[in-house]
Formats: sequence, C-alpha cells, structure tokens
Amino acid sequence: MYAVRFHGRGGQGAKTASRILGTAAFLSGYQAQDSPIYGAERRGAPVSAFTRFGREPIRERGGMAHPDLVVVADASLLEDPAARLSDGITEQTILFVNSPLHAEQIRAQSALPGRITTLGVTEIALQHFGQREAISALLGAVAARLAGLQQEPLRQAIARELGDLGVAPPIIERNQTVALMCYESVQVMARESVALPATIATTFHTPVYESPSRGTARISATGNSVLRETGGWRTFRPVLVADKCNGCWLCFVYCPDGVISMNTDDRPVIDYDHCKGCQICVHECPTHALVAEREQEGGVAWTAR
Amino acid sequence: MWQRETFKKIKQVPGEEHVLPGSALCAGCGGLESLRLATKVLGDEVVYVNAAGCFTMLAAYPYTSFKGSWLYTTMGSAPAGAQGVRDALDVLIAKGRLPKSDNLKVVVLGGDGSTYDMALSSTSGAMHRGLDFYYFCYDNEAYGNTGMQLSPATPYGARTATSPCSLQHPSGAAQEKKDIFEIWRAHKPPYIATVAPRYPLDLEEKFARAAAFTGPKMFLALAACPTGWLYDPGETPEVAKLAVETGLWPLKEAIDGVVTHTYVPKRKPVEAYLKLQGRFRHLFEPIVQTEAIQHIQARVDAYWERATREGS
Repeated sequence: MYAVRFHGRGGQGAKTASRILGTAAFLSGYQAQDSPIYGAERRGAPVSAFTRFGREPIRERGGMAHPDLVVVADASLLEDPAARLSDGITEQTILFVNSPLHAEQIRAQSALPGRITTLGVTEIALQHFGQREAISALLGAVAARLAGLQQEPLRQAIARELGDLGVAPPIIERNQTVALMCYESVQVMARESVALPATIATTFHTPVYESPSRGTARISATGNSVLRETGGWRTFRPVLVADKCNGCWLCFVYCPDGVISMNTDDRPVIDYDHCKGCQICVHECPTHALVAEREQEGGVAWTAR
Repeated sequence: MWQRETFKKIKQVPGEEHVLPGSALCAGCGGLESLRLATKVLGDEVVYVNAAGCFTMLAAYPYTSFKGSWLYTTMGSAPAGAQGVRDALDVLIAKGRLPKSDNLKVVVLGGDGSTYDMALSSTSGAMHRGLDFYYFCYDNEAYGNTGMQLSPATPYGARTATSPCSLQHPSGAAQEKKDIFEIWRAHKPPYIATVAPRYPLDLEEKFARAAAFTGPKMFLALAACPTGWLYDPGETPEVAKLAVETGLWPLKEAIDGVVTHTYVPKRKPVEAYLKLQGRFRHLFEPIVQTEAIQHIQARVDAYWERATREGS
C-alpha cells in the first residue's frame, strides 16, 4: 500500500487533490481510498486528507500514521503545530512543499527529517488562472507523479473530480494542461517503502462520570479569542497606500472580523495578527488605497500568545 | 418614506468592537459581518443563546469572541433556552438579588437551518408567549456548518450538497425559499426586520429602533457565504449588495405586523446576482437555463408588484 497525506488550508483544495489522486490510482487499476479530515475549522484553517492505494484490499482506515508521501499545499503549515505535519515522517518519507524556494532552503527552515522536493504551484496557478485557490488539480498531479502514477489516468481523474464540483469544461481542460506541466516539472524522488514499526501498544481508559458543572466545557473569560492569531490564514495581505486614502471608514465598517480600526487621522490600522486576508477591504475601498500583496512567508495560524 | 433617525452617517458606526477577532469563522463571513455591526448597538450587556451552527465557532472552547455571556443549545431549542435565561434574570431582579442596572439583553443566534426548520416551533412558542428577546438569524441559505446541505431557506435553483444538478433536477434546488418573515409576522411580534451586511446604516438603525420595543424583536440577516455560495471571500459585500439591488433580499421591517420597505431598489436583473456565485453557475453553463432564470425573475417581480400595490 502507498500512503499519501495532504496538508493544506481550508479552501486550497487539499481534499480535492486527495480525491484526484485516489481516482487516478483507481483508474490505474489499484484499489484506492481517500478521505479528508477537518475539525470545526474553516477556510484558511489547517486541514488534511488521506489517499491510500495498492494492489491488495486496503484495511487501514482513518488518520495516517505512516505516510510514504506528504504533500504540503502551503509552506506556512511547516511552522504550524496545529497542522501536525511532522506526524510519522521519517528519513524515507517524501515531503513535497508548495513553495518557489529550493528544497535545501526549506530543509534549513523546517528541520523535518523527510526527503524534500518543492515546486511553486501557487505561483504557477496565479500565472495561468489568476486565482489563488485553483491548485487542487496541480497538487493532485504532483502527488500522482511522486506516487508513480501515469499521466492518462491523472487527466481523467481531474476531469471527473472537477466535473463533479461543477467546474466548466474549458476550465477543466486548462487545469489538465497546467497540471501536466506540474507533473513534468516536479523533481522525482526514488520511491522507498516505510517499514512499519512494531505494533503500537494499546491502553484503554475508562472515563469517569463528572457532574455537568465539571464535565461541561465552560469558558470563564470574555473576549479571549484574541489570544489566538488567525493571521497565518492569509495568502494575500491588505496593505494601505496612505496617500490614496480618503478616510471614508468603509474598510472598518465592512471588515467581518473587526480587525480594522480607524486612527485619529481617519486612517485604517490593520491588525495583521488576526486579519484572515478575505480582501473585503481591498474590494470595497473606493479609492483603491488598500492593495493586496502576496504573503511571502506565511505566518503561523492558531498560535496562542 | 422610511427614514433613518439615529444612524445618518457612516462615521456614526461605533468604533468599539464587541465580537473580537481570532474566531474560526471563514474569512469573509457575511453572517459575522452582520453580527459584528449589530453588536455595535446591542453592546456587551448581553446573554447570547446560540443554536448549534456556524456561530458555534465564535465560542469554541477554550476561546470566546464575545465580551458578553454565551450559552449553547441544540438547533431546535435556542428560543426555549432564551426563555429560561430571561426568566432567571427576571426572578433575580424581582427578588433583589440582581440590581436592575445589571439587567441583560437576551439574544438568540440561529442559522437558517435552525430558524427556518428545527427551531420553528420553539420560536413560534417564544413569540406567542411574548418573550422579551432578540432573535438574530444569520441566513446563508443552507446547512452551512455541516457542508452546505439544502435547508428550507435555500432558494430555487441553488446547488447544494443535497440538491445537486442532475438530469431530473437540472436547475438544482427544486423548492422555493420558505418565507420566514411572513411566518414570523403572522405571530404579530412588535418588531421584525431584514438586514444585509452591505447596508450598515440600515442595519444599525433597525437595531436602534428595536431597542424601544418590549417583546420579541426578530432579525433576519443575509449571511452571504463565500464557502457555500462559491465566490471569492472579498466579494461578500458585493454579493449582499446585488441580493438587495436585484430585489431578491428586500430590506424591510414590520412594526406590530405593519410592513415598511426601508429601501426600494431599482431592481437589476437577477442574473447580476446569480452569475457572481458558483452555486448558480449551472444556470449559465454549459447551457443557459432561461426558464429557471425567468422563474426566479418572475417571483421577484411578483413580490415587488404586490409590495407596491399594498403601498408598503
């Protein structure tokens, strides 16, 4: 069995990438299984997805403790403990990181043991689609290449999965073309199977009854959500071009998360620790005084101060 | 002609925040945008009674975005929970155990799945008893928290996880959106209003006006939803604006059952609104489903013709 774990942020297409890989493997004649996992979090928050395929029936279910290949859709996840990216990674694991940086640079930053390969998939997507979130087919293609699948089943899998999502045929075709470019461009790593460690000892815990006052989660603080930073969700950051701002307050009014405040000169002050990068302020600014800048190094989502 | 009395200029929107950042709600959430603006009038002296839904994420253990109190209930019972909280406050004040100055507002937060569907009987009961509370429905027209399944608030033609486009139903959802405003109005609560996040002064004014009434104060907020409606998060205000400008989301209030439209749009063709969202893309690609689009337009036209005839 070959096991692939995808890590992304909600909305980047990690789940769809995992489905594309699973379908491509199935169309190649393998038994295949794919499933995503996401908590109550949303767009921008860490999510993972698992694809398993092999010649034999796949009995394993659920989370993936020993991946052969880990696909990282967003380099900021490398720094994010909530993403649990390093789980089960050994020297043999192939680690693909979506980043324009060289593998050696990523290795120097992250200290992960796996064998790293990189490709700037988001840059490729921006160049060809002009959209920041259209990377599911491209990630699926990279994973298919690293997992040793052929091009034709990959093409079909992209058509099927994107078709199911209601993507229009011309856009599917463009996705296929660009995905095959990524397929060709990614540097291939020789495939080595991870030796499973001996059976993990299991212990059982019997829960003890607690009265509701103890057993129910209670928060005895007010407004402590600010302790949690959501700045790492951003792909683009809104930046103020001060001399264009006419002080109209609209960015402050429309910001759903309330991370823009107005200073005494009627200029917006953006709380980048919490701004999720939705770009509402950029869209609504009547004088184009707020512009979107691509985040170069993603921050860390969900860190507690 | 309806006029705003308290909120006339954008710079009257209070600067203080009452729903703090750091929550797990999606970037660009239209429901959060509406709630944030509403709380600028409601303040912090509030007990929120939250039906399970997306807003659960606002107070997911161990963090809360609220400076006020928060109580969690099932999807079907938030108005009943509000009754309990209101009664407890009244009893404590009557017995002198809570000074009158420490009285709190009780505000129900419910999504459309809860409001239009599971909590409908509980809401009806609360209105019937004349419970003194606010009801804030953030309507994103589907069960969003569980992955955008069809709800009774889903409009005709929308694609959801459980109303896919198929040969039998090429235009997605076959049912019409339930008219919850009229269901509420039949109960004759003192105040009902619809709001949309792109119309902040209209929204603030309605919350300011509602404060004068004792009894159920019912709010229906358009929660434009980038995740479920499939558009870029930055377009939330634009989508909300087009919902209003096409006439699909009328901005109105009802005082003791008497309806006034607080803004009468010139009514752009509904295509302008539909085209912006992935959930309606199948109406335009690969072939234009003219009949379905005309059906949506005809219903909007009929609504506004009746509204004009009735002079509301």
